[in-house]
Amino acid sequence: MKFRAVIAFAAAAMLAGCGLNSVPTAEENAKARWADVQTNYQRRADLIPNLVSTVKGAANSESQILTNVTNARAQANTIKVTGDDLTDPAKMSAYTQAQNGVTLSLQRLQEAYPQLQSQENFKTLMNQLEGTENRIAISIRDYNAAVQAYNTRIRTFPDAIGAKIFYGAKPMTPFEAKAGAENAPKVDFGGNSN
Amino acid sequence: MTAPVAGADEARANAQPTPAGYDFPALTGRVVDTANLLSVSERRRLSNRLVDVEKQSKHQFVVVTVKSLGGHVIADYGVNLGRTWGIGRKCFNDGVLLIVAPNERKVRIEVGYGLEKALRDEEAAAIIEQDILPHFKAGNFSAGISAGSEAIIREITQ
Repeated sequence: MKFRAVIAFAAAAMLAGCGLNSVPTAEENAKARWADVQTNYQRRADLIPNLVSTVKGAANSESQILTNVTNARAQANTIKVTGDDLTDPAKMSAYTQAQNGVTLSLQRLQEAYPQLQSQENFKTLMNQLEGTENRIAISIRDYNAAVQAYNTRIRTFPDAIGAKIFYGAKPMTPFEAKAGAENAPKVDFGGNSN
Repeated sequence: MTAPVAGADEARANAQPTPAGYDFPALTGRVVDTANLLSVSERRRLSNRLVDVEKQSKHQFVVVTVKSLGGHVIADYGVNLGRTWGIGRKCFNDGVLLIVAPNERKVRIEVGYGLEKALRDEEAAAIIEQDILPHFKAGNFSAGISAGSEAIIREITQ
């Protein structure tokens, strides 16, 4: 009787050591962090229509720069990455590209209308935008840390056993905002103003 | 001095380890003036005020001045400091930090997610611009910190 209990304990301990619980926990954590990233990007997307109409009203014209912002936002909104897509680098890179396109078009917008900086409405929106960009940066960092923790876990002993046998766990893709940002301008706008 | 220290202990309950590359001051109370911008009496007055606010509103508000940000952007410094110290109630994430780095000439109001609706980005920016910076530009850090704190308290308690 006692012997059996010992075996049961040992088996439980062995299973726990194989990542039976820790792997899905790490996976769920990374997915939750990803949801934060998306929420913050959505928050930015929600600010844009208001920003565009404010600029339009103040500048009395609709410039190519504004159209670019609207288009970049529309394009970014078509690409959704769910928790299950996080192991797909191609999808992640499409998402990154699209969001970086928005970032860039917003930078162009800020540079193009320096005279609006003194306008109260515009200033408020810019402060909100800046805060949102900050939140995006933080959530990306948190997501990348969670991904790193998960990827390390599924590749190292003993969790790698459970990860492989029970879950077929694949490594997740970290978010590389910087690398894509350099490519984004050429892909989306090419800098031409027609 | 007992009240601020008790507050610091509560805060430490949800503290996290310091991330690599950061050198944070110790959380010694609700006013952590490592850059020595406030007089002893001003520090005590502000500290007592923050204790009262927390008793009343349950939101934890800590004022911190630092000699150096260690080369970090103040936004990153602020988030990591707030997390490391565990400011605010964990389930509500309702802490607020006012960070002043006089040597880098930077000020930031770091707001927990739970308080973002009460203290929005544009409100925080307006507090810095209208209540804090005019005093700082005149060289009066104490007045700027005091006015900024009152403005933040107004937002989070209304």
